[in-house]
Amino acid sequence: MIWDIVLRAAVVGILLSVLLSIMSYFVVVRKMTFAGVGIAHSAFGGIALNFFFGFAGYIFPLFFSVAASLLIAFLYKKGNMSEDSAIDVIFVFSMAFGVFILSLSNGYSANMLGILFGNILSVTNFDMITTLAVFAVGFIFITYLFSHFQLISYNEELAYIAGINIDLLYYLFWVVLSIVIVLSIKLIGIILVNAFLVLPTLVGSNCSKNYKGIVAIGAVSSVLSVVAGIFAAYFLNTPAGATIVLVFISLWLLSFLPKKL
Amino acid sequence: MIEVKNLTVAFDKKIVLDDISMKIEKGEFVGILGPNGAGKTTLVKSILGLEKPVKGGVRINGVDVNEYIKTNGTCIGYLPQYAIVNWNMPIRVIDAVLIEKIKPFGIFRKYSKQEIESVRHWLSVFGVEDKMYDYIKELSGGQQQRVSLARCMMHNPEILILDEPNTAIDAVYNTRLYGILKELSRKNSMTIIMVSHDIGAVTKYVDEIMCLNVKLHCHGKSGSINFSDVLKEVYGNDMEIVVHEDGCKNCAFNKDKQ
Repeated sequence: MIWDIVLRAAVVGILLSVLLSIMSYFVVVRKMTFAGVGIAHSAFGGIALNFFFGFAGYIFPLFFSVAASLLIAFLYKKGNMSEDSAIDVIFVFSMAFGVFILSLSNGYSANMLGILFGNILSVTNFDMITTLAVFAVGFIFITYLFSHFQLISYNEELAYIAGINIDLLYYLFWVVLSIVIVLSIKLIGIILVNAFLVLPTLVGSNCSKNYKGIVAIGAVSSVLSVVAGIFAAYFLNTPAGATIVLVFISLWLLSFLPKKL
Repeated sequence: MIEVKNLTVAFDKKIVLDDISMKIEKGEFVGILGPNGAGKTTLVKSILGLEKPVKGGVRINGVDVNEYIKTNGTCIGYLPQYAIVNWNMPIRVIDAVLIEKIKPFGIFRKYSKQEIESVRHWLSVFGVEDKMYDYIKELSGGQQQRVSLARCMMHNPEILILDEPNTAIDAVYNTRLYGILKELSRKNSMTIIMVSHDIGAVTKYVDEIMCLNVKLHCHGKSGSINFSDVLKEVYGNDMEIVVHEDGCKNCAFNKDKQ
Protein backbone atom coordinates (compact mmCIF):
# COMPACT_ATOMS: atom_id res chain seq x y z
CA MET A 1 0.00 0.00 0.00
CA ILE A 2 2.67 2.49 1.04
CA TRP A 3 4.77 1.44 -1.95
CA ASP A 4 1.84 2.21 -4.23
CA ILE A 5 1.83 5.74 -2.86
CA VAL A 6 5.61 6.08 -3.25
CA LEU A 7 5.52 4.68 -6.78
CA ARG A 8 2.64 6.96 -7.80
CA ALA A 9 4.41 10.00 -6.43
CA ALA A 10 7.65 8.98 -8.16
CA VAL A 11 5.92 8.55 -11.56
CA VAL A 12 4.13 11.91 -11.23
CA GLY A 13 7.30 13.58 -10.00
CA ILE A 14 9.51 12.17 -12.77
CA LEU A 15 7.14 13.14 -15.58
CA LEU A 16 6.53 16.66 -14.30
CA SER A 17 10.20 17.27 -13.48
CA VAL A 18 11.29 16.31 -17.01
CA LEU A 19 8.75 18.71 -18.51
CA LEU A 20 9.59 21.51 -16.08
CA SER A 21 13.32 21.09 -16.65
CA ILE A 22 12.95 21.61 -20.43
CA MET A 23 10.71 24.64 -19.84
CA SER A 24 13.16 25.81 -17.19
CA TYR A 25 15.74 26.38 -19.94
CA PHE A 26 13.57 29.06 -21.56
CA VAL A 27 12.41 30.46 -18.23
CA VAL A 28 16.03 31.06 -17.17
CA VAL A 29 17.33 32.16 -20.58
CA ARG A 30 14.48 34.68 -20.87
CA LYS A 31 14.93 35.75 -17.23
CA MET A 32 11.35 34.79 -16.28
CA THR A 33 12.14 32.85 -13.11
CA PHE A 34 9.74 34.93 -11.06
CA ALA A 35 6.95 33.65 -13.36
CA GLY A 36 6.90 30.25 -11.65
CA VAL A 37 6.49 31.87 -8.25
CA GLY A 38 3.66 34.03 -9.56
CA ILE A 39 1.77 31.21 -11.28
CA ALA A 40 2.14 28.77 -8.38
CA HIS A 41 0.95 31.34 -5.86
CA SER A 42 -1.92 32.30 -8.15
CA ALA A 43 -3.20 28.72 -7.78
CA PHE A 44 -3.65 29.46 -4.07
CA GLY A 45 -6.79 31.46 -4.83
CA GLY A 46 -8.24 28.46 -6.67
CA ILE A 47 -7.27 26.01 -3.92
CA ALA A 48 -9.02 28.27 -1.41
CA LEU A 49 -12.18 28.14 -3.53
CA ASN A 50 -11.89 24.33 -3.54
CA PHE A 51 -11.92 24.41 0.28
CA PHE A 52 -14.76 26.87 0.41
CA PHE A 53 -17.03 24.84 -1.86
CA GLY A 54 -15.77 21.48 -0.61
CA PHE A 55 -14.44 20.46 -4.05
CA ALA A 56 -11.37 18.43 -4.93
CA GLY A 57 -9.50 18.37 -8.23
CA TYR A 58 -7.91 20.90 -10.49
CA ILE A 59 -10.72 23.02 -11.88
CA PHE A 60 -10.43 26.07 -9.60
CA PRO A 61 -6.61 26.02 -9.20
CA LEU A 62 -6.19 25.58 -12.96
CA PHE A 63 -8.65 28.33 -13.69
CA PHE A 64 -6.82 30.71 -11.38
CA SER A 65 -3.34 29.82 -12.61
CA VAL A 66 -4.16 29.84 -16.31
CA ALA A 67 -6.11 33.10 -15.95
CA ALA A 68 -3.25 34.58 -13.94
CA SER A 69 -0.63 33.48 -16.47
CA LEU A 70 -2.65 34.91 -19.36
CA LEU A 71 -3.20 38.16 -17.48
CA ILE A 72 0.50 38.40 -16.65
CA ALA A 73 1.38 37.75 -20.29
CA PHE A 74 -1.23 40.28 -21.47
CA LEU A 75 -0.13 43.02 -19.07
CA TYR A 76 3.47 42.47 -20.11
CA LYS A 77 2.72 42.45 -23.84
CA LYS A 78 0.13 45.19 -24.06
CA GLY A 79 0.56 47.30 -20.99
CA ASN A 80 3.44 49.47 -19.92
CA MET A 81 4.44 47.05 -17.17
CA SER A 82 7.52 44.96 -16.67
CA GLU A 83 6.94 41.21 -16.43
CA ASP A 84 8.01 41.19 -12.77
CA SER A 85 5.60 43.97 -11.80
CA ALA A 86 2.73 42.23 -13.63
CA ILE A 87 3.52 38.95 -11.84
CA ASP A 88 3.73 40.70 -8.49
CA VAL A 89 0.29 42.33 -8.81
CA ILE A 90 -1.43 39.05 -9.81
CA PHE A 91 0.48 37.05 -7.21
CA VAL A 92 -0.46 39.26 -4.25
CA PHE A 93 -4.07 39.45 -5.44
CA SER A 94 -4.36 35.63 -5.57
CA MET A 95 -2.73 35.18 -2.19
CA ALA A 96 -4.90 37.86 -0.56
CA PHE A 97 -8.01 36.42 -2.20
CA GLY A 98 -7.04 32.89 -1.09
CA VAL A 99 -6.45 33.88 2.53
CA PHE A 100 -9.70 35.87 2.56
CA ILE A 101 -11.73 32.91 1.21
CA LEU A 102 -9.96 30.41 3.50
CA SER A 103 -10.78 32.53 6.53
CA LEU A 104 -14.45 32.05 5.64
CA SER A 105 -14.01 28.24 5.44
CA ASN A 106 -13.92 25.88 8.41
CA GLY A 107 -10.95 23.70 9.37
CA TYR A 108 -8.66 24.78 6.56
CA SER A 109 -5.46 25.21 8.57
CA ALA A 110 -4.79 21.46 8.92
CA ASN A 111 -4.26 21.17 5.16
CA MET A 112 -2.27 24.36 4.75
CA LEU A 113 1.14 22.73 5.12
CA GLY A 114 0.26 20.25 2.37
CA ILE A 115 -0.74 23.07 0.02
CA LEU A 116 2.32 25.13 0.74
CA PHE A 117 4.95 22.39 0.86
CA GLY A 118 3.37 19.36 -0.87
CA ASN A 119 1.98 16.07 0.42
CA ILE A 120 2.99 12.74 -1.08
CA LEU A 121 -0.13 11.06 0.34
CA SER A 122 -2.42 13.36 -1.64
CA VAL A 123 -1.22 12.07 -5.05
CA THR A 124 -3.95 9.82 -6.45
CA ASN A 125 -4.31 7.47 -9.43
CA PHE A 126 -6.33 10.20 -11.13
CA ASP A 127 -3.38 12.59 -10.65
CA MET A 128 -1.08 10.03 -12.25
CA ILE A 129 -3.30 9.58 -15.31
CA THR A 130 -3.79 13.35 -15.64
CA THR A 131 -0.03 13.86 -15.37
CA LEU A 132 0.62 11.23 -18.06
CA ALA A 133 -1.76 13.02 -20.44
CA VAL A 134 -0.31 16.47 -19.67
CA PHE A 135 3.24 15.12 -20.02
CA ALA A 136 2.48 13.66 -23.46
CA VAL A 137 0.95 16.92 -24.75
CA GLY A 138 3.44 19.19 -22.99
CA PHE A 139 6.50 17.21 -24.09
CA ILE A 140 5.43 17.25 -27.74
CA PHE A 141 4.58 20.98 -27.45
CA ILE A 142 7.92 22.08 -26.05
CA THR A 143 10.17 19.76 -28.09
CA TYR A 144 8.30 20.37 -31.37
CA LEU A 145 8.54 24.14 -30.91
CA PHE A 146 12.01 24.19 -29.34
CA SER A 147 13.65 25.98 -32.32
CA HIS A 148 10.80 28.51 -32.36
CA PHE A 149 11.25 29.35 -28.66
CA GLN A 150 15.02 29.39 -29.14
CA LEU A 151 14.69 32.06 -31.85
CA ILE A 152 12.15 34.06 -29.82
CA SER A 153 14.56 34.00 -26.86
CA TYR A 154 17.44 35.11 -29.10
CA ASN A 155 15.57 38.02 -30.67
CA GLU A 156 11.82 38.49 -31.03
CA GLU A 157 12.14 40.67 -34.12
CA LEU A 158 13.96 37.93 -36.02
CA ALA A 159 11.28 35.48 -34.90
CA TYR A 160 8.56 37.74 -36.31
CA ILE A 161 10.36 38.02 -39.66
CA ALA A 162 10.75 34.22 -39.71
CA GLY A 163 6.93 34.07 -39.65
CA ILE A 164 6.51 32.90 -36.05
CA ASN A 165 3.31 33.97 -34.30
CA ILE A 166 5.16 35.26 -31.24
CA ASP A 167 2.10 36.29 -29.23
CA LEU A 168 0.36 32.94 -29.70
CA LEU A 169 3.44 30.95 -28.68
CA TYR A 170 4.08 33.29 -25.77
CA TYR A 171 0.57 32.78 -24.37
CA LEU A 172 0.69 29.03 -25.04
CA PHE A 173 4.00 28.70 -23.20
CA TRP A 174 2.53 30.37 -20.12
CA VAL A 175 -0.64 28.27 -20.24
CA VAL A 176 1.29 24.99 -20.50
CA LEU A 177 3.64 26.15 -17.77
CA SER A 178 0.76 27.03 -15.46
CA ILE A 179 -0.90 23.61 -16.03
CA VAL A 180 2.35 21.77 -15.24
CA ILE A 181 2.93 23.91 -12.15
CA VAL A 182 -0.60 23.30 -10.83
CA LEU A 183 -0.13 19.54 -11.28
CA SER A 184 3.17 19.76 -9.39
CA ILE A 185 1.68 21.54 -6.36
CA LYS A 186 0.33 18.36 -4.73
CA LEU A 187 3.77 16.78 -4.70
CA ILE A 188 6.07 19.74 -4.20
CA GLY A 189 3.80 22.48 -2.86
CA ILE A 190 3.21 26.07 -3.84
CA ILE A 191 6.29 27.46 -2.11
CA LEU A 192 8.80 24.93 -3.44
CA VAL A 193 7.64 24.28 -7.00
CA ASN A 194 9.75 27.12 -8.35
CA ALA A 195 12.86 25.08 -7.57
CA PHE A 196 12.01 22.97 -10.62
CA LEU A 197 11.90 26.03 -12.83
CA VAL A 198 15.31 27.33 -11.82
CA LEU A 199 17.56 24.55 -10.50
CA PRO A 200 17.56 22.25 -13.59
CA THR A 201 19.05 24.96 -15.79
CA LEU A 202 21.41 26.15 -13.05
CA VAL A 203 22.75 22.59 -12.57
CA GLY A 204 22.91 22.09 -16.36
CA SER A 205 24.75 25.40 -16.88
CA ASN A 206 27.38 24.42 -14.31
CA CYS A 207 28.08 21.16 -16.17
CA SER A 208 27.66 22.17 -19.82
CA LYS A 209 28.02 25.27 -21.99
CA ASN A 210 25.68 23.99 -24.67
CA TYR A 211 21.88 24.24 -24.62
CA LYS A 212 21.40 20.55 -25.41
CA GLY A 213 23.73 19.57 -22.57
CA ILE A 214 22.06 22.04 -20.20
CA VAL A 215 18.57 20.66 -20.95
CA ALA A 216 19.70 17.01 -20.76
CA ILE A 217 21.67 17.44 -17.52
CA GLY A 218 18.84 19.54 -16.08
CA ALA A 219 16.31 16.77 -16.81
CA VAL A 220 18.56 14.04 -15.36
CA SER A 221 19.24 16.07 -12.21
CA SER A 222 15.49 16.77 -11.79
CA VAL A 223 14.62 13.08 -12.08
CA LEU A 224 17.43 12.12 -9.68
CA SER A 225 16.22 14.70 -7.16
CA VAL A 226 12.62 13.46 -7.35
CA VAL A 227 13.52 9.77 -6.99
CA ALA A 228 16.16 10.27 -4.29
CA GLY A 229 13.98 12.86 -2.51
CA ILE A 230 10.89 10.64 -2.39
CA PHE A 231 12.83 7.62 -1.10
CA ALA A 232 14.72 9.76 1.42
CA ALA A 233 11.42 11.24 2.60
CA TYR A 234 9.97 7.72 2.99
CA PHE A 235 12.87 6.41 5.06
CA LEU A 236 13.45 9.59 7.07
CA ASN A 237 9.72 10.27 7.48
CA THR A 238 10.13 13.86 6.28
CA PRO A 239 7.93 15.95 3.93
CA ALA A 240 8.56 14.81 0.33
CA GLY A 241 8.47 18.26 -1.30
CA ALA A 242 11.03 19.76 1.04
CA THR A 243 13.26 16.65 0.87
CA ILE A 244 13.20 16.65 -2.95
CA VAL A 245 14.17 20.32 -3.05
CA LEU A 246 16.98 19.79 -0.51
CA VAL A 247 18.35 16.93 -2.64
CA PHE A 248 18.15 19.20 -5.68
CA ILE A 249 19.98 22.01 -3.87
CA SER A 250 22.69 19.48 -2.90
CA LEU A 251 23.02 18.45 -6.57
CA TRP A 252 23.28 22.09 -7.54
CA LEU A 253 26.11 22.60 -5.03
CA LEU A 254 27.82 19.45 -6.34
CA SER A 255 27.48 20.76 -9.89
CA PHE A 256 30.04 23.47 -9.08
CA LEU A 257 32.68 20.76 -8.68
CA PRO A 258 33.32 20.08 -12.40
CA LYS A 259 34.20 23.78 -12.76
CA LYS A 260 36.64 23.60 -9.86
CA LEU A 261 38.33 20.36 -10.98
CA MET B 1 11.12 47.33 -54.93
CA ILE B 2 10.35 48.79 -51.50
CA GLU B 3 7.78 51.57 -51.49
CA VAL B 4 7.12 53.64 -48.40
CA LYS B 5 4.08 55.87 -48.75
CA ASN B 6 3.01 58.62 -46.34
CA LEU B 7 4.36 56.61 -43.44
CA THR B 8 3.55 58.17 -40.08
CA VAL B 9 4.45 56.38 -36.85
CA ALA B 10 3.66 57.62 -33.34
CA PHE B 11 4.46 56.35 -29.84
CA ASP B 12 1.94 57.54 -27.23
CA LYS B 13 0.71 60.23 -29.63
CA LYS B 14 4.27 61.52 -30.14
CA ILE B 15 5.06 61.43 -33.83
CA VAL B 16 8.44 59.80 -34.47
CA LEU B 17 8.12 59.47 -38.24
CA ASP B 18 6.17 62.10 -40.10
CA ASP B 19 4.76 61.44 -43.56
CA ILE B 20 7.73 59.58 -45.02
CA SER B 21 7.52 58.62 -48.69
CA MET B 22 10.30 57.00 -50.70
CA LYS B 23 11.11 54.23 -53.14
CA ILE B 24 14.07 51.86 -53.04
CA GLU B 25 14.78 49.95 -56.23
CA LYS B 26 16.07 46.38 -56.34
CA GLY B 27 19.85 46.18 -55.93
CA GLU B 28 20.25 49.66 -54.42
CA PHE B 29 22.55 50.22 -51.45
CA VAL B 30 20.88 52.85 -49.29
CA GLY B 31 22.32 54.57 -46.23
CA ILE B 32 20.05 56.14 -43.63
CA LEU B 33 21.59 58.94 -41.59
CA GLY B 34 20.24 61.05 -38.79
CA PRO B 35 20.87 62.06 -35.17
CA ASN B 36 19.78 60.02 -32.14
CA GLY B 37 15.99 59.87 -31.91
CA ALA B 38 15.57 60.73 -35.58
CA GLY B 39 13.45 57.63 -36.21
CA LYS B 40 16.02 55.63 -38.22
CA THR B 41 15.39 52.37 -36.34
CA THR B 42 11.64 53.00 -36.38
CA LEU B 43 11.81 53.42 -40.15
CA VAL B 44 13.61 50.11 -40.73
CA LYS B 45 11.28 48.38 -38.27
CA SER B 46 8.32 49.78 -40.22
CA ILE B 47 9.84 48.48 -43.45
CA LEU B 48 9.94 45.06 -41.73
CA GLY B 49 6.36 45.34 -40.46
CA LEU B 50 7.55 45.46 -36.84
CA GLU B 51 5.95 48.84 -36.18
CA LYS B 52 2.34 49.63 -36.95
CA PRO B 53 1.95 53.03 -38.62
CA VAL B 54 -0.85 55.42 -37.73
CA LYS B 55 -0.96 56.46 -41.37
CA GLY B 56 0.45 55.21 -44.64
CA GLY B 57 2.33 51.98 -45.09
CA VAL B 58 5.06 49.95 -46.73
CA ARG B 59 4.81 47.68 -49.76
CA ILE B 60 7.49 45.26 -50.90
CA ASN B 61 7.28 44.15 -54.53
CA GLY B 62 3.75 45.55 -54.58
CA VAL B 63 2.58 43.53 -51.54
CA ASP B 64 1.76 44.96 -48.11
CA VAL B 65 4.77 44.34 -45.86
CA ASN B 66 2.88 42.21 -43.30
CA GLU B 67 1.58 39.91 -46.04
CA TYR B 68 5.04 39.84 -47.63
CA ILE B 69 6.67 38.81 -44.33
CA LYS B 70 4.16 35.97 -43.84
CA THR B 71 5.03 34.38 -47.17
CA ASN B 72 8.53 35.69 -47.94
CA GLY B 73 10.06 36.46 -44.53
CA THR B 74 13.18 34.49 -45.35
CA CYS B 75 13.81 36.78 -48.34
CA ILE B 76 14.83 39.46 -45.85
CA GLY B 77 18.06 39.41 -43.88
CA TYR B 78 17.84 41.63 -40.80
CA LEU B 79 20.51 42.75 -38.42
CA PRO B 80 18.79 44.31 -35.38
CA GLN B 81 20.57 46.72 -33.09
CA TYR B 82 23.39 44.94 -31.23
CA ALA B 83 21.94 45.63 -27.78
CA ILE B 84 18.61 43.84 -28.30
CA VAL B 85 20.09 40.43 -29.14
CA ASN B 86 20.32 37.92 -26.27
CA TRP B 87 24.07 37.25 -26.40
CA ASN B 88 23.96 35.27 -23.16
CA MET B 89 22.27 32.27 -24.73
CA PRO B 90 24.24 29.01 -24.34
CA ILE B 91 24.66 28.46 -28.07
CA ARG B 92 27.68 28.16 -30.34
CA VAL B 93 28.37 30.42 -33.30
CA ILE B 94 27.09 27.75 -35.72
CA ASP B 95 23.82 27.57 -33.75
CA ALA B 96 23.46 31.36 -33.82
CA VAL B 97 24.08 31.54 -37.57
CA LEU B 98 21.48 28.83 -38.22
CA ILE B 99 19.01 30.04 -35.57
CA GLU B 100 16.52 31.37 -38.12
CA LYS B 101 16.32 27.98 -39.84
CA ILE B 102 13.59 26.76 -37.52
CA LYS B 103 12.73 23.08 -37.67
CA PRO B 104 10.21 20.92 -35.78
CA PHE B 105 11.74 19.06 -32.82
CA GLY B 106 14.79 21.34 -33.11
CA ILE B 107 16.22 20.13 -29.81
CA PHE B 108 17.11 16.81 -31.45
CA ARG B 109 18.36 18.46 -34.62
CA LYS B 110 21.67 17.74 -36.38
CA TYR B 111 23.00 20.10 -39.05
CA SER B 112 23.46 18.85 -42.61
CA LYS B 113 26.84 19.03 -44.37
CA GLN B 114 25.38 21.67 -46.68
CA GLU B 115 24.30 23.83 -43.74
CA ILE B 116 27.72 23.50 -42.09
CA GLU B 117 29.51 24.44 -45.32
CA SER B 118 27.22 27.39 -45.84
CA VAL B 119 27.88 28.64 -42.29
CA ARG B 120 31.64 28.18 -42.82
CA HIS B 121 31.48 30.16 -46.07
CA TRP B 122 29.67 33.16 -44.63
CA LEU B 123 31.74 33.19 -41.45
CA SER B 124 34.86 33.28 -43.63
CA VAL B 125 33.40 36.18 -45.67
CA PHE B 126 33.06 38.15 -42.42
CA GLY B 127 36.42 36.93 -41.07
CA VAL B 128 35.26 34.81 -38.12
CA GLU B 129 35.49 31.31 -39.59
CA ASP B 130 37.76 30.17 -36.75
CA LYS B 131 35.01 30.96 -34.22
CA MET B 132 32.46 28.52 -35.68
CA TYR B 133 32.31 26.26 -32.62
CA ASP B 134 32.92 28.93 -29.97
CA TYR B 135 30.10 30.08 -27.70
CA ILE B 136 28.59 33.42 -28.68
CA LYS B 137 28.78 34.87 -25.18
CA GLU B 138 32.55 34.33 -25.21
CA LEU B 139 33.11 36.43 -28.34
CA SER B 140 33.94 40.12 -28.40
CA GLY B 141 31.21 42.57 -29.40
CA GLY B 142 32.71 43.03 -32.87
CA GLN B 143 32.95 39.27 -33.44
CA GLN B 144 29.34 38.84 -32.31
CA GLN B 145 28.28 41.47 -34.81
CA ARG B 146 30.14 39.70 -37.62
CA VAL B 147 28.42 36.42 -36.63
CA SER B 148 25.09 38.26 -36.95
CA LEU B 149 26.06 39.45 -40.42
CA ALA B 150 26.81 35.84 -41.42
CA ARG B 151 23.40 34.84 -40.01
CA CYS B 152 21.70 37.46 -42.17
CA MET B 153 23.14 35.82 -45.28
CA MET B 154 22.02 32.24 -44.58
CA HIS B 155 18.80 32.53 -46.59
CA ASN B 156 20.49 34.35 -49.51
CA PRO B 157 18.17 37.29 -48.89
CA GLU B 158 16.93 39.62 -51.61
CA ILE B 159 16.77 42.46 -49.10
CA LEU B 160 19.30 43.12 -46.35
CA ILE B 161 18.37 45.53 -43.58
CA LEU B 162 21.17 46.50 -41.22
CA ASP B 163 20.62 48.61 -38.12
CA GLU B 164 24.00 50.04 -37.18
CA PRO B 165 26.10 47.09 -38.41
CA ASN B 166 29.33 48.77 -37.38
CA THR B 167 28.47 48.80 -33.65
CA ALA B 168 31.45 47.34 -31.73
CA ILE B 169 33.38 46.76 -34.98
CA ASP B 170 36.85 48.29 -35.18
CA ALA B 171 37.67 51.05 -37.68
CA VAL B 172 39.84 48.86 -39.90
CA TYR B 173 37.25 46.11 -40.30
CA ASN B 174 34.55 48.74 -40.82
CA THR B 175 36.02 49.66 -44.18
CA ARG B 176 36.21 46.00 -45.21
CA LEU B 177 32.62 45.53 -44.10
CA TYR B 178 31.36 48.38 -46.26
CA GLY B 179 33.35 46.93 -49.17
CA ILE B 180 31.74 43.50 -48.69
CA LEU B 181 28.28 45.06 -48.55
CA LYS B 182 28.93 47.10 -51.67
CA GLU B 183 30.05 43.97 -53.50
CA LEU B 184 26.99 42.00 -52.33
CA SER B 185 24.76 44.78 -53.57
CA ARG B 186 26.45 44.85 -57.00
CA LYS B 187 27.07 41.16 -57.67
CA ASN B 188 23.91 39.68 -56.14
CA SER B 189 21.59 42.60 -56.93
CA MET B 190 20.83 42.65 -53.22
CA THR B 191 18.87 45.62 -51.90
CA ILE B 192 20.67 46.89 -48.81
CA ILE B 193 19.30 49.40 -46.33
CA MET B 194 21.83 50.43 -43.71
CA VAL B 195 21.33 52.67 -40.70
CA SER B 196 24.58 54.21 -39.62
CA HIS B 197 26.14 57.07 -37.71
CA ASP B 198 29.29 56.75 -39.83
CA ILE B 199 28.52 59.70 -42.11
CA GLY B 200 31.86 59.68 -43.92
CA ALA B 201 31.73 56.00 -44.86
CA VAL B 202 28.07 56.08 -45.78
CA THR B 203 28.61 58.92 -48.22
CA LYS B 204 31.50 57.01 -49.79
CA TYR B 205 30.02 53.52 -50.20
CA VAL B 206 26.26 53.73 -50.63
CA ASP B 207 24.33 54.50 -53.83
CA GLU B 208 21.59 56.54 -52.18
CA ILE B 209 21.45 58.52 -48.98
CA MET B 210 18.47 59.38 -46.82
CA CYS B 211 18.78 62.02 -44.14
CA LEU B 212 16.12 61.61 -41.52
CA ASN B 213 15.04 63.54 -38.50
CA VAL B 214 11.38 62.63 -37.96
CA LYS B 215 10.82 63.94 -41.48
CA LEU B 216 12.77 62.84 -44.54
CA HIS B 217 15.06 65.80 -45.18
CA CYS B 218 16.74 64.48 -48.27
CA HIS B 219 16.87 61.37 -50.42
CA GLY B 220 19.15 61.16 -53.40
CA LYS B 221 22.28 59.80 -55.05
CA SER B 222 25.21 60.04 -52.67
CA GLY B 223 27.20 62.33 -54.98
CA SER B 224 24.32 64.64 -55.74
CA ILE B 225 23.61 66.02 -52.28
CA ASN B 226 25.10 69.16 -50.79
CA PHE B 227 25.89 67.61 -47.44
CA SER B 228 26.99 70.61 -45.47
CA ASP B 229 23.57 72.21 -45.78
CA VAL B 230 21.57 69.00 -45.30
CA LEU B 231 23.57 67.86 -42.26
CA LYS B 232 23.24 71.28 -40.67
CA GLU B 233 19.49 71.01 -41.17
CA VAL B 234 19.26 67.43 -39.86
CA TYR B 235 21.79 67.52 -37.01
CA GLY B 236 21.37 71.19 -36.14
CA ASN B 237 25.12 71.90 -36.22
CA ASP B 238 27.79 72.77 -38.74
CA MET B 239 29.51 69.51 -39.68
CA GLU B 240 32.48 68.61 -41.78
CA ILE B 241 32.76 65.23 -43.47
CA VAL B 242 36.19 63.60 -43.52
CA VAL B 243 36.36 60.45 -45.60
CA HIS B 244 39.39 58.28 -44.93
CA GLU B 245 40.81 57.15 -48.26
CA ASP B 246 43.55 54.55 -48.73
CA GLY B 247 45.90 57.30 -49.85
CA CYS B 248 45.38 59.27 -46.66
CA LYS B 249 48.73 58.24 -45.19
CA ASN B 250 48.93 60.45 -42.16
CA CYS B 251 45.62 59.61 -40.50
CA ALA B 252 45.41 57.16 -37.61
CA PHE B 253 43.07 54.91 -39.59
CA ASN B 254 45.71 54.04 -42.19
CA LYS B 255 48.50 53.85 -39.61
CA ASP B 256 46.54 51.00 -37.98
CA LYS B 257 46.32 49.21 -41.31
CA GLN B 258 50.05 49.56 -41.87
